[in-house]
Amino acid sequence: MPSISQTFDSLRSSQKFQKRFSIAIRLVIAVILIVFSIFPVLWIVSASFDPSQSLATQTSLIPSNASLQNYQRLFSKDPNYKFGDLVFEKWIWNSVKISGISTILSLMITTMAAYAFSRMRFKGRVTMLKGILLIQVFPNLLALVAIYVLIFQTGEIIPRLGLNTHAGLIMVYLGGSMGMNIWLMKGFLDTIPRDIDESGMVDGASHWQIFWNLILPLLRPILVVIGILSFIGTYGDFILARILLNDVNQYTLMVGLQIFTSGQFDQKWGVFAAGALIGALPIMIIYLALQDQIVGGLTQGAVKG
Amino acid sequence: MASVTFRNVYKRFGDVTAVNNLNIDVADKEFLVLVGPSGCGKTTALRCLAGLEEISDGEILIGDRVVNDVAPKDRDIAMVFQSYALYPHLSVYDNMAFGLKLRKVPKEEIKRRVNEAADILGIRDLLDRKPRQLSGGQRQRVAVGRAIVREPKVFLFDEPLSNLDAKLRVAMRAEISKLHQRLQTTFIYVTHDQIEAMTMATRIAVINKGVLQQLDTPQNLYDKPNNLFVAGFIGSPAMNFFAGKLRKDGGKLLVDTGDFVVPIPASRAKPYESHAGKDIIFGIRPENIHDADFIPPNIDAEKVSVKVDVTELMGNEIFLYLVSGKNTFVSRVDPRSKLRVGQQAQVAFDMDSFHIFDAATEEAIR
Ligand SMILES: Nc1ncnc2c1ncn2[C@@H]1O[C@H](COP(=O)(O)OP(=O)(O)OP(=O)(O)O)[C@@H](O)[C@H]1O
Ligand SMILES: [Mg+2]
Repeated sequence: MPSISQTFDSLRSSQKFQKRFSIAIRLVIAVILIVFSIFPVLWIVSASFDPSQSLATQTSLIPSNASLQNYQRLFSKDPNYKFGDLVFEKWIWNSVKISGISTILSLMITTMAAYAFSRMRFKGRVTMLKGILLIQVFPNLLALVAIYVLIFQTGEIIPRLGLNTHAGLIMVYLGGSMGMNIWLMKGFLDTIPRDIDESGMVDGASHWQIFWNLILPLLRPILVVIGILSFIGTYGDFILARILLNDVNQYTLMVGLQIFTSGQFDQKWGVFAAGALIGALPIMIIYLALQDQIVGGLTQGAVKG
Repeated sequence: MASVTFRNVYKRFGDVTAVNNLNIDVADKEFLVLVGPSGCGKTTALRCLAGLEEISDGEILIGDRVVNDVAPKDRDIAMVFQSYALYPHLSVYDNMAFGLKLRKVPKEEIKRRVNEAADILGIRDLLDRKPRQLSGGQRQRVAVGRAIVREPKVFLFDEPLSNLDAKLRVAMRAEISKLHQRLQTTFIYVTHDQIEAMTMATRIAVINKGVLQQLDTPQNLYDKPNNLFVAGFIGSPAMNFFAGKLRKDGGKLLVDTGDFVVPIPASRAKPYESHAGKDIIFGIRPENIHDADFIPPNIDAEKVSVKVDVTELMGNEIFLYLVSGKNTFVSRVDPRSKLRVGQQAQVAFDMDSFHIFDAATEEAIR
């Protein structure tokens, strides 16, 4: 019966066709997405090598008169060029220092708080957990004025924590990042069986020894994830740093870079682009170094069977 | 080495009473098994002893010391968890050494003890591995090893074999018994498996719904269960029960189940005289019901007519599922038995080995 086998054949070939078609569609979508996300990066790279300093004149992705001029200017190595109190190296160092310290402190506080929330039963535990979540609902932006006043008044009493100090900024970052991270960490801790704690208890360990020797090593994947998220978050923050810091030597990278874009007829887009690229390096390095652990932390639980 | 005493111990979780007035004396070097159905409070009792749960009332003593307010680490006990609870990031060696390191035992001594325990358990080759690289049975050994190296006064086990396959379970059962002989320490072992309890224990505590039902040697539990629960729980296949009445007929005491009547031998009648006319439950174990063609000599056999419902051939014996009126019951008969499904037949009750329980209180009448 040829008709049946023919229909069967055409069905099969059409299935094949459908399969190819769907792969093609997926490829197209993927390419569009990649182009979409990579274009700004390419543009920045191109702008950083374009000495013309103007958005309008930059017409192609490969600048016609490419040079390292912008980079030289950034590090004040261009004798023909002067741009106020440019202290780019200082800004990077400030950013790395502030993000690093607040990340480490925030990890410490987060982990210990989450451990207590996960393992100990105390009065008000659930209320506090919910409270932490509730506070997160309000955007940080709403609190800007309050934070400013808070830090200002703190500075009146303890000058080292006041306005224009890194310590003050770090305190603000610590408060902001904690809520979500405590929840994340608590969720991870809850997947570690309590048997391990109890076994440690019977083995003779104190609460602190259990936390330090038995639980903390198991938290590594989530520590990496929270650490990176928190580092990127503080490193990339503009608004809080802009409000709390007012001396050019205290600026973080994000605040400092903004100087290049702010002059009305005097924007330095090329230098800005060069600065932005170099500023992205620390994050990229960290990300590449910890790549595997990030994926692990996001996908696997603490205790493998 | 130490004795352990539960004195009027209660443990309540909200309005659930998980342990209800528990009284147990465990002698030094004894192997006590706590057995009972799921949710009866065995684990809770063990955790109270370990100090992982605070008791609501009563006293727990280890040796002569009341330990109610003593932290787990100061109770000098070691516990093997059902999940083994090995530390996932530590090697087998470090898992076993952890407790000793905390106690600042010298390095050389730790090494000696860990190696010795590893030799006893046959895990010498595994010392460098991580727990996730071990099989279930090997993990179980490591968990036991971790307990051994501590040289505690009391060993606690919470269903340590329940995650193993049937064959390994039998092997580990024997090994734990051997370990007990070798270490000469008090073992307290929780299981829901009555066969494990029967094979390993020096004494068994049967618990139901938080209440201790009976505390005795395996043989006594089997031969003289105190109540209906213990009678039904210990033994496999379980004891057969028949609801009935005790009747007096011309000086003879009879058990009347409605479907069949069996007389109680005069030699055993005495304790039951006072219950004549009352509702009782008549219990008899499967191995005390024989094929009428293969009655062992010298027993007081009483024949009952039955219909064979199902047969299970086990090789060295046959399980017959029998029906008599509204009653169905099991017998374990001689492998030569010719009885087959659907047959009307005669079986013989061994009237030297039956149990009678008060239907109202479910207590044994003796
Ligand atoms: N932390 C707790 N909070 C509330 N109820 C609990 C708690 N732990 C145990 N229970 C209850 O106490 C009772 C006894 O529990 P337990 O774990 O001791 O049972 P078990 O005999 O060990 O059972 P299994 O054989 O299933 O392990 C159960 O009804 C259980 O629901
Ligand atoms: Mg249990």
